[in-house]
Amino acid sequence: MTLRDKRSFRVALVADRYLNPRDRALDVIPILVEAEWGVIQLPAEAYPREVAGPLLEQVAEQTEEFHRHGYDVVVIGRRKGLKQALAAAGVPRLDQLEPVNAADVKAFLRGRPAPSAGRPSKRKTRATVKQA
Amino acid sequence: MAQRGIGAKYPKQPQGRDTRLDGVPGVAFVAHCLLNQNAKTVGGARCPGIYSPLVDVLRDKGWRIEQMPCPELAFTGLNRFWAVREQYDTTAFRRHCQRLASAVVGAIEVHVKHGRDVVLVGIEGSPSMGVCITSSDPARAGLPEWPAGSKELAPGEGIYMEELRKELAARGISDPRVIGITHQLPDHDARTERARLETFLAR
Repeated sequence: MTLRDKRSFRVALVADRYLNPRDRALDVIPILVEAEWGVIQLPAEAYPREVAGPLLEQVAEQTEEFHRHGYDVVVIGRRKGLKQALAAAGVPRLDQLEPVNAADVKAFLRGRPAPSAGRPSKRKTRATVKQA
Repeated sequence: MAQRGIGAKYPKQPQGRDTRLDGVPGVAFVAHCLLNQNAKTVGGARCPGIYSPLVDVLRDKGWRIEQMPCPELAFTGLNRFWAVREQYDTTAFRRHCQRLASAVVGAIEVHVKHGRDVVLVGIEGSPSMGVCITSSDPARAGLPEWPAGSKELAPGEGIYMEELRKELAARGISDPRVIGITHQLPDHDARTERARLETFLAR
């Protein structure tokens, strides 16, 4: 297994309509690929509450793990029930974009600060203490 | 896994359907990390975020994409060690997978009830998402160090995939077609995989 990890430490919670766009609706996948963001998909609006609820619970639990570790996590679009699910998992309010067009998404992602995850740790490990 | 059509229990229902999900040849339920490589075990991310070779094929063919939750991420977290199937094969992890599978099968059921073609896309070599190849080493334990070149790939299915099939069966939904992405196998070839995916989706 290789240890050359290519992760971006950036995750976007994306409304289904922008991931599976219909007709000529806004499609964020090419933008997110280009900007090097990972995706957590939000349940389709068409799903009934009893289907969407457990899926949102999973979204929230995974989001909490990324947020706690200093990954940059944002929301693109909206999903009924998301705010409550995130709050229940202890995730504070995330920066959110309601995009009108691709330029909105690109500008929003470009303006994000560098995630705190992925920066070299200042904590001394056993090996660095020995070397010192 | 059998390559049968899904939805034995449900006839097609053209009346009263929710058309917001219509107009696609099929729905692919894909492993979480295929849209988000940040969920991988440290050292395992093959690209920054979206694994576009799969997404490109699905979109070229007009398929709808549904992301499944990562079984390992919410259970052992981002700082988990590389692990083999035996390390995850506990009652607690299976219960966790059952909970995830129940949520996913709820969504699968929506599509099956409307007669849509549903497929699953797993990750070959994964202890939880493997389709035909998982990772196995009954002796692996303790300090996470093992001899270089230790073999861990083995024929078999991941634990989450097993629990997902059990949940589908419990709800009377026959086995969907399943394929595994090979990007973490040593003999992975992108061109071969694309051809394999295209053939699989065209069935």
